[in-house]
Amino acid sequence: MQARPRHSSVRHSSVSTLIATLIALVFFSAALPLRAEVTDDMLLNASKESDNWRMVGRDYAGSRFSPLKQVNSKNIKRLVPKWTFSLGTLDAQNTTPLVSDGVMYVTAAHGRTYAVDAKTGTMIWQYAHQLPEDVGKAMCCDIGNRGAALYKDKVFVSTPDAHVVALDMKTGKKVWDVGLGDYKLSYTMTVAPLVVKGKVVVGLSGAEYPTRLFIEALDAETGKQAWRRYTIPAPGEPGSDTWGNDPDNLKYGGASAWITGSYDPQTNLIYWGTGNPNPDWDGVGREGDNLYSNSTLALNADTGEMQFYFQYTPFDVWDFDGVNENILADLDGEKVWLHGDRNGFLYKIDRTNGKFKYGKEISKVNWATGFTPEGRPIVNQEKVPTYTYEAKDICPASEGGKWWNPMSYSPEKKMVFVPSREICTDIKSAKGERAEGKPHWGIGSIKWNKGHGQLVAFDAKTGNKKWTVNAPSPFMSGVLTTGGGLVFAGTPEGEFKAYDQDTGKELWSYQTGSGIVGSPMSFSIGGKQYIAVPSGFGGWTGWATIGGGGAPHLKDSRKGGYVTVFGLFDE
Amino acid sequence: MKSFFRSPAPTIAGVAFGCALLLSALDLAVGQEELKNPFDGDVTAAAEGKKLFLKMGCYACHGHEAEGAVGPDLTDDEWIYKPTDAMIFNTINRGRPGTVMAPFGDQLKPEEIWKIVEWLRWKNRQRKAPESK
Repeated sequence: MQARPRHSSVRHSSVSTLIATLIALVFFSAALPLRAEVTDDMLLNASKESDNWRMVGRDYAGSRFSPLKQVNSKNIKRLVPKWTFSLGTLDAQNTTPLVSDGVMYVTAAHGRTYAVDAKTGTMIWQYAHQLPEDVGKAMCCDIGNRGAALYKDKVFVSTPDAHVVALDMKTGKKVWDVGLGDYKLSYTMTVAPLVVKGKVVVGLSGAEYPTRLFIEALDAETGKQAWRRYTIPAPGEPGSDTWGNDPDNLKYGGASAWITGSYDPQTNLIYWGTGNPNPDWDGVGREGDNLYSNSTLALNADTGEMQFYFQYTPFDVWDFDGVNENILADLDGEKVWLHGDRNGFLYKIDRTNGKFKYGKEISKVNWATGFTPEGRPIVNQEKVPTYTYEAKDICPASEGGKWWNPMSYSPEKKMVFVPSREICTDIKSAKGERAEGKPHWGIGSIKWNKGHGQLVAFDAKTGNKKWTVNAPSPFMSGVLTTGGGLVFAGTPEGEFKAYDQDTGKELWSYQTGSGIVGSPMSFSIGGKQYIAVPSGFGGWTGWATIGGGGAPHLKDSRKGGYVTVFGLFDE
Repeated sequence: MKSFFRSPAPTIAGVAFGCALLLSALDLAVGQEELKNPFDGDVTAAAEGKKLFLKMGCYACHGHEAEGAVGPDLTDDEWIYKPTDAMIFNTINRGRPGTVMAPFGDQLKPEEIWKIVEWLRWKNRQRKAPESK
């Protein structure tokens, strides 16, 4: 008769287990964010909902504008840190965190990606891409990463050794991994992917080395190539006659594509920037416009075919590297893109045909004296360096103007907010040795002259400046604007600041511990608005110190690796 | 009384550990003997070192005069590890894992590395020269 009590005990145990399991399920389903797949509709309508931030520019227009307004100029003094997350690596933390359904997906320097509970900062999973130990040789400007992309049940990241990796959104396990180039030849990646109609679009880095770079689309499910668009034409193709007489220029002319593009569903065009020709500062032997360097390319999203382009700096000998983002804006019937360039100008370009609308000075510009009606800059020959002539006080310096750090556009105010600097250079060029896998800059001497930083607000329609905030150092962070009338930006000293959108008045500041070279974003969970910012100094910082330096006080700045999330103080 | 210093019998792991220590010590001794800058004070070698520094692309991170950019200033005394000739040689040869600094031992001969070391040390001496006057 012992079997009966045992049977009873087993049954009792089973019931207990069942109840415990149910309780656990209820508990965990409440504790863990509910993660739905990211659909095409979610991406297409990203600007119309406020809780999530599912692509680095927040929406296909790349606005970096959050409509959330719980945090505003009246209560900003109550904004306090809620949690901090260590990114686990040092060096340039260039990322923009993403949030989808309560989970933050954030990349870090040296090939790391994390999923984090966006409410608590608790890590859910991590992915550490296994890097070759010599990859640092192949990267001019640190081993940073600019963010992830989300689509369906996957997270997509690019890696320093030029891979694109798809991760399972729930577990962080690798689903597919595709190499796009040989890092030993300096084909590398830092870009945040953009997913358009089931394709993962990325661009390559490496124009400080002899390379021929490209923009590529991969099938999101399989990683199979959908299309590849080289940024330099092949021999015989249109534009191939703009690279001088050396045929090798078409093999080694650089023109990288390391900043995420924008997408207009109405035109079905992707607007993607391209960077400097190689060598950066030496134009001897590549006389011509060097197409399609320093341009925005309008590419058919399905095929990668180029429909038109606009070139900001033809025959670049200043490393103006026009790769920067293109924000799509609708201004009283005008369909345009806005582009802050390293050459010192803010541009408004018709996005239906690539026609020039305006070019306005962000910072002091003296390398060009104006524009032709088509928007071609009129070059000041006194500011063109040669092997025998050191051009003095070229404004702006190679980093701008506006460097790569993304600006923000408020569709409510029709204003664009540009992180900037006032720093100029002295440059003499030189003949360098062109060898694959080795830097090839064409520099004889270069000095950055001491300057300062600024955050500049423009009326997007007219290009008129509304206000300027000056700072001791260049603004090296991306910019966030919100429906609460705020502008957020960070400094290389680590201060995360909020300004009034209308006046530029500083309203709030918090020291994050290390320089901010990534981009802030905002999201909402359970009716509460949060604001996140990565910090961790790094990247190309030669401008700060070389030859006296544009901001010599930044020498040996402390590295770091954090994400800090802020919310209003709960009474 | 239980002794933490007495092992009942030498284990395989223990023997292996002992051998590893011995080999490590021998390696260190050999390494120390080898890691002597053969170009100490040789200005010609230093000039060749600068050419190699530029040719290898070290300037991309450290600047054309090794004054620091993405990577640190290599001409000052503010290093994490004391900047001895041997330490700089090892760093160029092996890299610094976890940082951007990659190993160059596969592309440079030891004497070439030493020439770069000598140029950096020469830069350091030049930098200090005005202070000693």
